[in-house]
Amino acid sequence: MDKVWKLLDNIKLFFSYRELLFNLARREITQRYKQSVLGYAWVILNPLFQLLVLTFVFSTIFRVASFNVPYIIFLIVGLLPWNFFAQSMSSASNALVGNASLITKIYFPREILVYGTIMAKIVDFFYSCLVLVFFFIFYQIPLTPQTIWVLPIFSIQLIFTAALSLLTSSFNLFYRDIQYLLNLIISLWFYLTPILYPIEQFPEKYRWIFIFNPMSVIINAYRQTVLGGGEPNLNSLGIAALMSIVLFVISFLIFKKSEGKFADFV
Amino acid sequence: MIKAENLSKQYSLAKHRTFKEFLPALFGGQDTKIKFNALVHLNFEIKKGESLGILGKNGSGKSTLLKIVAGVTKPTDGRITVDGRVAPLIELGAGFHPELTGRENVYLNGSILGIKKKQMDKLYKGIVDFSELHDFMDQPIKFYSSGMYMRLAFAVAVAEKPDILLVDEILAVGDIRFQEKCLTRIKEFQEGGSTLILVTHQPAMIETYCEKVLVLDKGRQVYFGNTVEGVEKYKTILK
Repeated sequence: MDKVWKLLDNIKLFFSYRELLFNLARREITQRYKQSVLGYAWVILNPLFQLLVLTFVFSTIFRVASFNVPYIIFLIVGLLPWNFFAQSMSSASNALVGNASLITKIYFPREILVYGTIMAKIVDFFYSCLVLVFFFIFYQIPLTPQTIWVLPIFSIQLIFTAALSLLTSSFNLFYRDIQYLLNLIISLWFYLTPILYPIEQFPEKYRWIFIFNPMSVIINAYRQTVLGGGEPNLNSLGIAALMSIVLFVISFLIFKKSEGKFADFV
Repeated sequence: MIKAENLSKQYSLAKHRTFKEFLPALFGGQDTKIKFNALVHLNFEIKKGESLGILGKNGSGKSTLLKIVAGVTKPTDGRITVDGRVAPLIELGAGFHPELTGRENVYLNGSILGIKKKQMDKLYKGIVDFSELHDFMDQPIKFYSSGMYMRLAFAVAVAEKPDILLVDEILAVGDIRFQEKCLTRIKEFQEGGSTLILVTHQPAMIETYCEKVLVLDKGRQVYFGNTVEGVEKYKTILK
């Protein structure tokens, strides 16, 4: 109970540091593409080329089924949220180590550094959605009112991402192996999440692994609502939400517990 | 007010450098860490508005103590009570990012120090005036010379009167005129009721700016009290 109060107290503290949060996110965004000609356009060009190549490979060579929409539409709905997740994770794992000079000098709640990088990735994600808007208009894909479901689904994804980011950022501070391990895990995770293929194509007898993978539930839910025009599977989405929240609380407590040692180890 | 009671800080250093050495030691029940005492049982107290100088040879624990006061690291044993907003000048420009402009860095660093944007808008002109970098505020600071960098960092750090100002050797950089300007600003803060904690190797500075002095040797408290006596103690350690 005591810990829960601490958590609430921390949310208050967090609120008073919101300007730092925005400034860190802004720094992350502005510094990244400085001294590059195309600048922020890379945020759009990257997923665009990724989409074109993947679409060629998986719709022309492998011929993967894709509901009743062009494969590129099917892919984009899963790929963009996944990119947001993967990029948040890999930059958040460096959020503490990369700011060692701050951590050893000035006190402020350290999770701000982690949230700041995720926030920058949210902005990237919104811009990359321009690609999605373009292709939706191009193929004249109709949207139904069910699309509003993306808001709760995205919130669940955000909690899940923040939870894992808190864990990896603090572990990476103590053992730098984590960032290399994480890259490996994320690239394998990509194939074990139904992004390139519909969940129905995954053999039934192996489908239980999706229970342990909230990202598969989340990606599938985006498709069910945006492309299928129906409700998401509330059962699995509920489990994913619960898992994410529990994981977040645990990660947060671990993060706060090790926070006092950050400056000594970084 | 700052009060240390029985304050200790211990670092653990890895004894076995490689995994091959580490594993057998771990399973063999040997100690895998060496303990290193950075600070041992410090006891001191300074009141609001009083200033403290810290003297000691390299490696005597001065910087560790500043880190504890800044709240960056926690003591392993004992207690520290720190009342008020702490402005660390431990290493200037810690939050600066080379790709960002002077102006962007001022705002970023301000928010790291806990200064709100509205407040910063008011302080901004003063910061630019103090740093004398009017023509360079919209340049990325990677093009700054180290002197310019230092001036900007100092200007941000002292833009708002802190309750406690931590100063670690930083005044060794910059030309004499700017140094004097910094010292004047510090003096103003002191007159306004700020507490100064000053780490330096120059006893003369401590005699000028501090009422109390803490002398450390290998993490142990050799002396705490008035400056004249403290400086004498420090000189005997040096011999």
